[in-house]
Amino acid sequence: MSGRYALDSGCVVKVPRALGACSANKTCNIIRSRLPLASSTYFHTATVFSSQPSSITVTKEPDALFQRVSLLVKGHDKSVLDSYELFATMAAKELGIAISKVCELPKDTERFTLLKSVHIFKNHRVQYEMRTHYRFIELSHLTGSTAQVYLEYVQRNLPEGVAMEVTKTAMEKVPDHILKPMWEEDPIDNKLSQG
Amino acid sequence: MASHTSRGLLSLGRISASALGLQRPLSRVTYATNVSTNYSAGKTGLPDRGAGKFARRPRRAPGEPRTEKMPVDQDWTAVYPAAAPFRPGSVPLPVRMGYPVKRGVPPEKKGNLELIKIPNFLHLTPAAIKKHCEALKPFCTEWPSALDTDARCDAHFPIKAESTDYVSAGPSVRNPAARTVHLKVKLSSLNLDDHAFKKMLKLVGERYCRDTDTLTITADRCPLRQQNHDHAMYLLTVLYHESWKTEPWEAEKSVADMEEYSWEDSPSQRNLLDTLVRVEAAGEGGGGGEEVREQLLGRREVQEYKDSVTRLKNEGESESTVMLYKEAVKKVLNL
Repeated sequence: MSGRYALDSGCVVKVPRALGACSANKTCNIIRSRLPLASSTYFHTATVFSSQPSSITVTKEPDALFQRVSLLVKGHDKSVLDSYELFATMAAKELGIAISKVCELPKDTERFTLLKSVHIFKNHRVQYEMRTHYRFIELSHLTGSTAQVYLEYVQRNLPEGVAMEVTKTAMEKVPDHILKPMWEEDPIDNKLSQG
Repeated sequence: MASHTSRGLLSLGRISASALGLQRPLSRVTYATNVSTNYSAGKTGLPDRGAGKFARRPRRAPGEPRTEKMPVDQDWTAVYPAAAPFRPGSVPLPVRMGYPVKRGVPPEKKGNLELIKIPNFLHLTPAAIKKHCEALKPFCTEWPSALDTDARCDAHFPIKAESTDYVSAGPSVRNPAARTVHLKVKLSSLNLDDHAFKKMLKLVGERYCRDTDTLTITADRCPLRQQNHDHAMYLLTVLYHESWKTEPWEAEKSVADMEEYSWEDSPSQRNLLDTLVRVEAAGEGGGGGEEVREQLLGRREVQEYKDSVTRLKNEGESESTVMLYKEAVKKVLNL
């Protein structure tokens, strides 16, 4: 059973790969030399490659397996959803997650008619509508750790005014108590229930 | 009065400057005093800040925007490391947005509210995404290679637990629909014999889908998702064990309770055998009762008729089943 990765509280991850570390450190140094401001302004790049070594703890708890993780993203602006879809698909590709479906569901329009005036003038109305656009992204074969990482990344970068529904289908083995009927071992219980 | 004192103060303040021989502050002083003399004591509306005690330093002209100094091969992730509103002085693109006036163009980016209102993805360029994913890679685990296809997944892990998370902005982060859990199992993967399978179908009723052989248990009566998941597993366990039990009143199962149609001991069999016996009797003029019936049952046409009737009743009426029935009837009655 593969283990679960957890980050120690307060510590920061250390990139284990040599290639990645080299180039990243280079850019990190460049950033630092240009503007010796607080590293909090560049928390994405600078703090990731900090000098403090951290540990990735692997717990003994078995990793969950998700056969399918589907994201339904809803928003009022289609172009924002387009950009977000680009971002989500690219992130999935970079992390090595299989994308099975990306599609655009037809939009929903909610319309209502109100009276234009505060008092009387029933013949003069004003109509409003609210359009909700959708984007559906389906990913398949994710482990629990990968799903957690990807979903947190994608949800932290959710733009303003956009909502998301994530449906996860976890796979589980048949538990031990359903493998055989219990009446074979304990016939007494059967008799009791009959009487 | 105020103007006089202000002039005096100003002159005092600028003595050092004039001593150094700088011309500019003097001209500024004159500009300021000109302004102060216009504001007579009669105007009591706005406080004349220009002539006030703390002389408002005239604004320095804004320098050239940062975009002019940006090199082409700069690190964009440093300009926009996190989500930030659009800054026209930091984005070196000639973006125009907005509805144009008549015979005009969309307004430029400087001072454009539309560009600030819309969420931008300047912090999520492909380079930035690659960097982030490089940092996130160590936390991801690989999918086991033995479970590539859905069939293998179903074979090893037949129980699927489905749940939904909701992310939205609003007065509350919580969504009460997030606690529902749907448990889906294929009954073919459970250890059930014939009687247990039929009893299970009767126990679950609508929750079973015949086409996909899937039992769906939905649990949402508990406040937490983990509790609902445990409740659904408990329900599955109870259903399984109860379906293996045989209660004494199950012996009273009648023809109306049967799930499938069986031709043995049915009115159709009786009718057919009666008809054939009478045909035989009319033809030959006499014969045994039971032996003739058994002989008739063994005949091929009768078996074909039995198959066609069973198919009609179980699978419903369709072109193929009705045609089969027609052929079988024709053969049995020698038409």
